[in-house]
Amino acid sequence: MTRNGPFALLFNALFVLFMAAPLVVVIGVSLTPEGFLEFPPSGISLRWFRAILDNPDFIEAGWTSLYLGVAAASLSTALAVPAALAIGRRRFPGRDLLLATFMSPLTVPTIVLGIAFLRFLSQIGLSGTFLGLTLCHAVIITPFILRLVLASVTGLDRTVEKAAESLGASDFTVFRRITLPMIMPGVVGGWVLAFITSFDELTVTVFIVNPSTTTLPVRLFNHITQTTDPLVASISTVVILFTVGLMFVIERLYGLDRLLVGGEAR
Amino acid sequence: MAFLELKGLTKRFGEIAAVENFDLSVERGEFVSLLGPSGCGKTTTLQMIAGFETPSAGSITLEGRDLLAIKARSRGIGIVFQSYALFPHMTVAQNVEFGLEMRKIAAPERRQRVAEALALVHLEALADRYPRAMSGGQRQRVALARALVIRPEILLLDEPLSNLDAKLREEMQLELRGIQQRMGVTTILVTHDQTEAMALSDRVAVMHRGRLVQVARPLEAYEHPRSDFVSSFLGKTNRLEGKVVERAGERAGDLCRVAVGETVFAAPAPPPEIGKDARPRVIVSVRPEKVEFRAAGAGLVDGTVAARIFLGDHWLYQIETPLGVLLVTRQNVGPAEVETGGSVGLAWDAAQVRLLPFEETA
Ligand SMILES: Nc1ncnc2c1ncn2[C@@H]1O[C@H](COP(=O)(O)OP(=O)(O)OP(=O)(O)O)[C@@H](O)[C@H]1O
Ligand SMILES: [Mg+2]
Repeated sequence: MTRNGPFALLFNALFVLFMAAPLVVVIGVSLTPEGFLEFPPSGISLRWFRAILDNPDFIEAGWTSLYLGVAAASLSTALAVPAALAIGRRRFPGRDLLLATFMSPLTVPTIVLGIAFLRFLSQIGLSGTFLGLTLCHAVIITPFILRLVLASVTGLDRTVEKAAESLGASDFTVFRRITLPMIMPGVVGGWVLAFITSFDELTVTVFIVNPSTTTLPVRLFNHITQTTDPLVASISTVVILFTVGLMFVIERLYGLDRLLVGGEAR
Repeated sequence: MAFLELKGLTKRFGEIAAVENFDLSVERGEFVSLLGPSGCGKTTTLQMIAGFETPSAGSITLEGRDLLAIKARSRGIGIVFQSYALFPHMTVAQNVEFGLEMRKIAAPERRQRVAEALALVHLEALADRYPRAMSGGQRQRVALARALVIRPEILLLDEPLSNLDAKLREEMQLELRGIQQRMGVTTILVTHDQTEAMALSDRVAVMHRGRLVQVARPLEAYEHPRSDFVSSFLGKTNRLEGKVVERAGERAGDLCRVAVGETVFAAPAPPPEIGKDARPRVIVSVRPEKVEFRAAGAGLVDGTVAARIFLGDHWLYQIETPLGVLLVTRQNVGPAEVETGGSVGLAWDAAQVRLLPFEETA
């Protein structure tokens, strides 16, 4: 363990402050008893949390976002794991092209993506549907998950798989019993990152939702454009707590640093 | 028919031939080492036997069956890799059990065989540990137990001891040999450590640049190397370039005479590979332990002691002579026989000299 110097400490402190300040403000605002945004709050009240229950369309949108995140993250995981195995350990013509294609959503401006998806979905008759939304989100979040899985595939010792094969395991058994568990930290980390990305995606989603498939970020966005009451703050606080809770569970299961930085399975 | 037969085995990677025309027969229960310098094709040969590399040419048969027609997973071969290749997410017991699960063996028998295998390598107490919480020597034992528990037809070991420190390596060598003999499993060990190969095996197969250059019992290979390469690779030797100046007589045991520079001494009749020239060039090899000290002027050649190195159980001397620097080893059974800077004579029994076909460099 190396000791941090005063400048490093100062830098870290400022960094944390900068990251945490908006969260503190949001949580503070959500506790206000008043009918407008104020910080610091003049009192402590759960009024705006109760108000969430009186707005079933927000709850509805929350469920949509949750289902969407799970579906899109799972779909793109199912795509990214085989893709990462092929790209990470084989040399074949078109390999770089394949990787570039999977990563391209990161380089295309999201507005452009949104318009493109809108056109495309109406072309194939899926505009405004949950399925259409899932497909679009899967495209957007695949780069995140592919990156993480690729990192764990590249670090994999192939002789371990050979050892399993020599002991009589079929290709599929080797994958299920050996390869997959060994890259699991990357897969879970990628899934979580992808889920969170999908859960708060706004720019692209705005273009492709309809009233029945409105996601939480889109619903909040619409709300803010019309009124500014502390309801957005209380809902945001719930989302923050949910995300922190998710991270906590993952940390317990796998160790967060390991997931995001990569490393040996526990 | 031998148990395992490799015939004309060849593996090319593009232009380079990693293994070329490799012939080897291994008897049931035999322990054979593939020995050679880095890059000579040992691992490639082993991988072809295991089924992870496809030969470019040649055949491998096990009891007459064509092994190349069988997939790696069905060959019933146990392998221990240099990196051990343990399953990191499984406990020791689960690692060992894996091969039995693949064979669909019932749980009670699995448990019993895992326990036996762990007892064999003295790891009963660590059955529930994960590999990452174990030392190199312990991991090595797990890998061995995992390979042996399936009762393999052949056990392949790819430099299994090279990651261990010297003392542990020696212990494991003894243990490995003991286990192999008790189980009677046919074993092929890959190593570039000649002492390890000689200590463990029934026969050593010395490889050089993808080719098999000599297969023999360790003592035979050490005492009667067939080439300059084998002679220099197996242990230390004094390698001199010389010339046969007087051919041996016709009778067995007749000696010839060789000249190295100005010095002329007797040697056994040269082997037939040396050819029929009247005065052929040869490599003369005399092992350091076969050289004896004499009083200055009383040996075959005189020299001065340039260095004397203490190695515990023996001394290593470097003697400067007209033939070049010669190495001499002496058992440490009393005070050193000669001092640094002193003059000595060196002599050796003519029967201990080896004449080998001339090669430019070893
Ligand atoms: N997959 C491959 N592609 C190309 N060349 C290869 C491949 N595998 C091995 N070689 C080459 O074949 C030769 C023999 O390699 P091999 O691994 O069998 O050597 P080795 O005797 O096991 O060496 P070491 O003691 O270093 O492990 C080397 O020159 C190596 O570069
Ligand atoms: Mg090798």
